[in-house]
Amino acid sequence: MDQRELMMLQQYLQEYGQQAEIFVQQLQLLENGRMEALAAIESLQEMLTSDDGTVLLQIGGGASVRAKVVEPEKVLLAIGAEVIVERSNKDAVEFLQERVMEMEASAKKVAETIDKLRAQMNEINKRIESGYQQAMAVEQGQD
Amino acid sequence: MFGGLREKLQAARNRLGSSIQAVVKPADGTEKGNGAPEPPAVPAAAPEAAPAPVPEATLAEEHKKVRFVDKVKTLIIDRELIVSEKDVADALSDLEITLLECDVALPATDAIIGQVRKGLVGKHRKIGESVDTLVVNALKTALLEVLGNGFDLAEYIREHDRPVKILFTGVNGTGKTTTVAKIGFFLKKQGFSVVIGAGDTYRAGAIEQIGVHAERLGIKIIQHQEGADPSAVLFDTVQYASSHKIDVVLADTAGRFHNKANLMNQLDKIKRVMKPDLVIYVDEAVAGNDAVTRAFEFDKTVGADAVVLTKADMDSRGGAAISIAHTIGKPLMFLGVGQAYEDIMPFEPAKVVDELLDGGA
Repeated sequence: MDQRELMMLQQYLQEYGQQAEIFVQQLQLLENGRMEALAAIESLQEMLTSDDGTVLLQIGGGASVRAKVVEPEKVLLAIGAEVIVERSNKDAVEFLQERVMEMEASAKKVAETIDKLRAQMNEINKRIESGYQQAMAVEQGQD
Repeated sequence: MFGGLREKLQAARNRLGSSIQAVVKPADGTEKGNGAPEPPAVPAAAPEAAPAPVPEATLAEEHKKVRFVDKVKTLIIDRELIVSEKDVADALSDLEITLLECDVALPATDAIIGQVRKGLVGKHRKIGESVDTLVVNALKTALLEVLGNGFDLAEYIREHDRPVKILFTGVNGTGKTTTVAKIGFFLKKQGFSVVIGAGDTYRAGAIEQIGVHAERLGIKIIQHQEGADPSAVLFDTVQYASSHKIDVVLADTAGRFHNKANLMNQLDKIKRVMKPDLVIYVDEAVAGNDAVTRAFEFDKTVGADAVVLTKADMDSRGGAAISIAHTIGKPLMFLGVGQAYEDIMPFEPAKVVDELLDGGA
């Protein structure tokens, strides 16, 4: 294995690394979305059971206020394509549960892709390693 | 690909089918007895008399609706059933929500619903003919209408003077460079000679990245140093292609957002200098409606002749793929569907629709 081939392998490795990084970011986004949806489901369900409909409303910057939900039965829900519709609490929870399942399926796919990329990176790493060892052996032989 | 959309469309199709069937059933019952068709004629006489004093607007509306008397007449004489607006209203409303949930843009959703309604309402259906066929055909026509014709790149190249210059634009991180490599591979397989211009001189490592791809694919690449003027790189690429009789120039550029004025001006300069035959907007299918909005903005500012959507294999909703052509009025050319060079497929609307309505007529 000559120097040029080794450099090329290094570039492959770098490129796979960049790709993996993008997928890791995507995985993180999906996980954030999933956690948000789960939190919303919990809030929606709690809202129905709480006695006086009081909830803690986060207003940003770590600040929260106590707020009374006037109509816990009705939920305004962004269903996609920037469209918001009114749904019943139960329907909204069902919708969010479906979304969570969708996100879990997507996350699984992304994770599989990352695994594949990592396996390819390992393979390249091995080849680089053996290339270096060969180069070292040749160098020592020349000494 | 688009598994979620396929499942939801299947459910919507069943719903449409059963709502038509539900209307059919009681009518079938009356049809059996010979004397039964007579009584409906009596209530039908009332709506007959009513239209005379009704204002024009209502008359027009009336015209659209399928009248009860017509329904009965067709049922008895032609042994056919007419689907009315009311029969499918609920199912269409469900379909609308389904499409929106799959991130299909509102204008595209409206167009699909309009087409399905047009395809079903007032349709005569022979008794015994499958409702499913009627529904699937209406859905197919509607989707095909919205998806447009696609774009056959190989044919375009064959029909135009060489070199055909193709400029790739889009936002950061959507897979532009990989797409350039994949399309290079696709065109080489089709027998065209290709040269790539490494016009992304901005992002660290971008020149090396496209260089690695080009070397692997055995495609000539023209590159300058990082930070060089991309217009100069791409001008050199076009010159090289002209003097070496190369068929296609693929010009990679740096990712940019449409609201960054200086970067958009740079793109304008590139366009003036290299005079591309095609400007292709690249975005990721998983971005859903965002991709549609961005494509619209890009088309407005620098223009786009066709769109490539990457990462379609990760996208279960398919919203962007369904709505992009209709919303920006430019065809979808390719879908990126994986990591390997061959994982790019020309967008063929008929094939996609067949796949979405799998198991249909």
